[in-house]
Amino acid sequence: MNLFGMMETSGSAMEAERMRAEVVAANMANAETTRTAQGGPYRRQEVVFSANQGDPNFLDSMTSASAGGTATTSAVLQTPALPDGTAVAPGVHISAVVEDSSPPLKRYDPGHPDAGPDGYVSYPDINPLTEMVDLMGATRAYGLNGAAVQAEKGMITSALEIAKS
Amino acid sequence: MNMEIATQLSDQIARYLDLATTEAKLTAVNMANVDTPGYRTVGMDFEAEMREALVDAGQGHAPRKVRVTEVDGLIARPDGNNVSVDRESLNLAEAQLKFRTGVALLRQEYQRVLDAIHADK
Repeated sequence: MNLFGMMETSGSAMEAERMRAEVVAANMANAETTRTAQGGPYRRQEVVFSANQGDPNFLDSMTSASAGGTATTSAVLQTPALPDGTAVAPGVHISAVVEDSSPPLKRYDPGHPDAGPDGYVSYPDINPLTEMVDLMGATRAYGLNGAAVQAEKGMITSALEIAKS
Repeated sequence: MNMEIATQLSDQIARYLDLATTEAKLTAVNMANVDTPGYRTVGMDFEAEMREALVDAGQGHAPRKVRVTEVDGLIARPDGNNVSVDRESLNLAEAQLKFRTGVALLRQEYQRVLDAIHADK
């Protein structure tokens, strides 16, 4: 992992946060959806973030390839690791999109085509407030990682200045 | 007298740049995992690493691996994540400034060598 690897790390987070915002948007769009392909009302979706485990194969091949070269390259390319040997995750990914299992809300509307025999219609249990808070969190985290990319760009640009005389 | 373009000072500055990069890298990793449940903030002791790097550079040893540890003393959220956005923002700004300082010093050092080369003109 070099300077460009940092952009990959921040990029993976931006991708994950954008996906989270998309899921929130889907939830809000389907807040009143009573009919889905699986039957029943729409169910609220949620993303699960999990830290990347890194790519040991890539690291191994890089290290062995640079073993014949100068000694400095291999140490610089190594992924930082904790004392117990586990590699520090170089980013984040969405490991799953799970469905909220809470029961649907019941509203009495006997004239609705999806009403049950008792006259109640099942609506998805979506709270706009929860969704807005989630969306705000995603936006802030996206911006944070965007700022990190900006900083990394600045560092790469300034590194290019070393060669200029 | 040996004729080396890379001086000991430039070697030391190179190691300083490496450490500043690692610091920025760790900050980027922490920032990326700001919403990962159970994630613990990682960090390094920049000053201690730099002290060792200076000794290594003086003795001509290759750079060693940076010791990365989990940072304690941070408040964990209910999901087990303890990333502090303020701490990471501050660390990123610091790493960036360190990197720019290193670049400026390195340029100056190389300029010094170039001046010596062109001394007869």
